[in-house]
Amino acid sequence: MNGVAFSPAALSSLIPSSSSSSLSHRKLKPKASSLHSQQAFTSDPYVLELAETLEETIPSTPSTPLPLHNLRNASSQSLLSTPWPSRRDEPFRFTDLSFIRQSRILPLSHPTPVNLLTSHLPHGVYVGPLSALSSSPLLHTVSQFLSHTLPNADLFWSINGIAAPDLTLVYVPEGCHVDSPIHLQYTPPQPTTTHASDTMHLSNPRALVVLEKGARVDIIEEFSSTPGNENECYWSNAAFEAVIGEGAKLSHSYIQTQSFRAAHIKWTSVRQESSSTYELVEVSAGGKLGRHNLHIQQLGPDTVTELSTLHLSVGDQTQDLHSTLVLDHPRGYSRQLHKCIVTHSQGQAVFDGNVKVNRYAQQTDAGQLTRSLLLEPRATVNVKPNLQIVADDVKCSHGAAISDLEESQLLYFQARGIDLKTARRVLTFAFGGEVIDKFPYSSIRDTVRSQIKTLLDPSSC
Amino acid sequence: MALSLPTHSSPTLIPLPRSPKPTFPTLRRLNYRVCVATAATPLLQVNDLRAKIVESNVEILHGVNLTVNQGEVHAVMGKNGSGKSTFAKVLVGHPDYEVTGGSVVFKGENLLEMEPEERSLAGLFMSFQSPVEIPGVSNDEFLVMAYNARRKKLGLPELGPLECFSYLMEKLQLVNMKPDFLNRNVNEGFSGGERKRNEILQLAVLGADLAILDEIDSGLDVDALRDVANAVNRILTPQNSLLMITHYRRILDLLNPTHVHVMDKGKIARTGDISMVEAIEAEGYETVSA
Repeated sequence: MNGVAFSPAALSSLIPSSSSSSLSHRKLKPKASSLHSQQAFTSDPYVLELAETLEETIPSTPSTPLPLHNLRNASSQSLLSTPWPSRRDEPFRFTDLSFIRQSRILPLSHPTPVNLLTSHLPHGVYVGPLSALSSSPLLHTVSQFLSHTLPNADLFWSINGIAAPDLTLVYVPEGCHVDSPIHLQYTPPQPTTTHASDTMHLSNPRALVVLEKGARVDIIEEFSSTPGNENECYWSNAAFEAVIGEGAKLSHSYIQTQSFRAAHIKWTSVRQESSSTYELVEVSAGGKLGRHNLHIQQLGPDTVTELSTLHLSVGDQTQDLHSTLVLDHPRGYSRQLHKCIVTHSQGQAVFDGNVKVNRYAQQTDAGQLTRSLLLEPRATVNVKPNLQIVADDVKCSHGAAISDLEESQLLYFQARGIDLKTARRVLTFAFGGEVIDKFPYSSIRDTVRSQIKTLLDPSSC
Repeated sequence: MALSLPTHSSPTLIPLPRSPKPTFPTLRRLNYRVCVATAATPLLQVNDLRAKIVESNVEILHGVNLTVNQGEVHAVMGKNGSGKSTFAKVLVGHPDYEVTGGSVVFKGENLLEMEPEERSLAGLFMSFQSPVEIPGVSNDEFLVMAYNARRKKLGLPELGPLECFSYLMEKLQLVNMKPDFLNRNVNEGFSGGERKRNEILQLAVLGADLAILDEIDSGLDVDALRDVANAVNRILTPQNSLLMITHYRRILDLLNPTHVHVMDKGKIARTGDISMVEAIEAEGYETVSA
């Protein structure tokens, strides 16, 4: 195991010594470090310790690419001023992170295995680790695109910034259309030894996508569980950044089916130049906690943004989408469809969807719709769709609906001899199918369909 | 009478000529007269049926009595709000209504104790007046599911979508619809006429001992109405019965009811034959229900 253990001081007495001694890791004691001397305005010793553990595990070396080195420094700075989020913080009001905090965090020092299920790329396209680029001019080009901070960045963005051992770069040069999709398959950390049940391996995969003017690419990000190990406890803290150049188009598919004991926290940050298109289709069904922070910033006029997300809670789990779309330029077009299905009495879904139509974003056409299906008593959904409109010549709409399945639809099935259980299953699946149908590839649609069908009706497999 | 699937066109059926004189007694009607003589127990026996709306507690049906025998064609007419559609919905087990009294026996069994799907599988079909849209479920998927539910009930093996295809295509021709009708989502974005045709398509696929057609003629143009009526005439064999709810004479002329009932204030106020329709057309419901 090449991780370095981190356990919060307050909880260390709770961790049985037998389990900790069996681990092949080094337990850190708080000590003076450069972090401490730099900043003192965070009052959260837990975060300080965590930061220290991360820095120890993933040290910057002379071979670290400069952009990554700069990212780590900037992230360290911001991490120190950020306490661990509590339920009193608005972005985490409905999202319980305590099970992460109560775990022994073991950061992974090696990059998360990313399977690139893509071959034969056009000339000039780069897909691979940033570290493999050490001296090329591309490294210089790319470094200017790596953003260190976001206006609404949180602790987890900074953690990834410090602890991403490398980053996967996708670079598409001007005017280049990549025909086959670039499929990034992230497999969960594979512990080499058995650890105590409170141990959580932390991985911080990071991807940067740069599309030059007029480029086109489809990217599939897939976070799955290890077959046969669907109950592993780990923490994926991923970040995905994309810069879409003028007139370029990025189609982004994101599928999250991690273990039901895992924490999956992800940032997606997208910057759109003028006349560019960003399409996101997301299906998240895994994790004890699945949290997606989606931030889209418009950098020029005439952008097209289409976001379709399906969140599914079939157990004691929380699926959370926090999205912000900031429009600062004229004639942007955006559509957001968010759907949740909660089929368990302890299941929860959270949606905070913010669309800002600022002063210069005239003739914006922005639509947002969230629909939630609660299929069990006490199943919970917290939705906060919100539009902030400053411009005065815009077309904006938003809507929210939370319901059980419609009785009239159920009766229609029954009246044709189909039993209630089947009717409910088919209607529930059809509700989510609207999002699944938007995946641009039939192979992905079929895979996700069968995964969701199995989750909704475990007896079917 | 056993529940049967209309897997093949009945040999007794002859496609109706598209004649402009639909008042001819059809072959089906002639057969009916033979059948009715042999029918022993009624297909549907409704006695003093009372029902209220669950939500508002308002009683709509105040004691409906009706007997339908095998092969008979009944028409229920009546003013708006007289309880015609409520009666149909109560028969199929609509959850918005609660039966407060009376009995309904269908094929010798207590219909009111059955779930809606059991009523359907027992051979009762109702076409909805305004069928609901089912986004995300395609018409063929829905038909295959319903058809297989019926096959399962009959102890037959379920069929895959491809095996059902030719069967569905045959039924599709019956309602004069194009094949792409099957790929569309159930009732989603359908015109009024398409929705009605879709209801008849379901009847054709599933078959029924008693088909209740709730205002199948409303909102249809002349051609669509003729298509629908032709399809109904071809689907139903002399052994099947029909109960239609309508406001208009045109469909009655096409389907030739043997019994015409006028419903008023939640009861069957009067029963007669087709000649009663002329009186209604001429002088309104007041004269017949008085």
